[in-house]
Amino acid sequence: MDDPCDEVLAEIERYLDGECTAEAAAVVRAHLHDCSPCMDRADFQRRVRALVAQRCRESAPPELVARIRASLE
Amino acid sequence: MSESHGGVAHQRGPVRRGLDDATRRATFEAEALPHLDSLYSAALRYTRDRTDAEDLVQDAFARAYASYHQYEPGTNLRAWLHRILHTTYISQWRKAQRRPREVAADQPSGDGEPDDGEFSLFDRVAAATSRPAEVEVLEHLTDAEVQEALQSLPESFRTAVYLADVEGFPYAEIAEIMDSPVGTVMSRLHRGRQRLQRALWEYAQRRGLVGPDPDDAGEAGEGRGDDAGRTGRAHQDDAHEGAAAQEQAHHG
Repeated sequence: MDDPCDEVLAEIERYLDGECTAEAAAVVRAHLHDCSPCMDRADFQRRVRALVAQRCRESAPPELVARIRASLE
Repeated sequence: MSESHGGVAHQRGPVRRGLDDATRRATFEAEALPHLDSLYSAALRYTRDRTDAEDLVQDAFARAYASYHQYEPGTNLRAWLHRILHTTYISQWRKAQRRPREVAADQPSGDGEPDDGEFSLFDRVAAATSRPAEVEVLEHLTDAEVQEALQSLPESFRTAVYLADVEGFPYAEIAEIMDSPVGTVMSRLHRGRQRLQRALWEYAQRRGLVGPDPDDAGEAGEGRGDDAGRTGRAHQDDAHEGAAAQEQAHHG
């Protein structure tokens, strides 16, 4: 883990989750700014997550909304 | 009654006790019902069936309404509702359905589990499209395919990934919802995302969106991900050889 890229990539998941310490996040951010291969990887991960989020969201059927409202009577 | 708006305005105060029925109902409707889509989406991921998901959400809302006095105003209501949904699912639904295989898949494992080798979708896509990895390739997957990919994950991985990536909950809240330690959540998330990317890759291959892996005998099987990941990284390592060597000298 001496490669700065490895160190950053090991932290990238937590970084993208917004779960790094401020200090670690600053290190990752600075590295991504200077290292386009790592930036590409980070960007890819971010976009895969966005894809999943976008495709796995669904609206509750209106009948369900109605049933639940009625059950609160 | 006329106090109902006062009740909403005071939601940052102490535990909401002693609301009269009408106020309680109005408040619950105004605050909890907007999260219905979020709970229904989660229920679909749990049950993998539309009718079951509707019934599960209805059960969870009934429970939530019955224990609404226990909700602490000012805390995250969406997380509280998800916790009830998860508990309802675990206590009533999963017990009835019994999926021993899935439970087994979630047992904590060491590094030995073959299908948990590091998998880099980025490197796979990059190698298959011979240019910087583009998510566009994956955007050709249908909603159903992405959902099936997520659905193919063992239950606790699927739940962790759903709660993080779709709902955007922080680790601590996912831990609360799933009633698991934060460390367990992090490991499920990591492994779940790896499996999800592997599944997305397999769908993309099946659909012919990407060619077969150049150095793969046609199948993205267990244990191969690691190799591909290393191959991909090798180029990058070259570029940083100087820096790495320096680092090494420094540490050595």
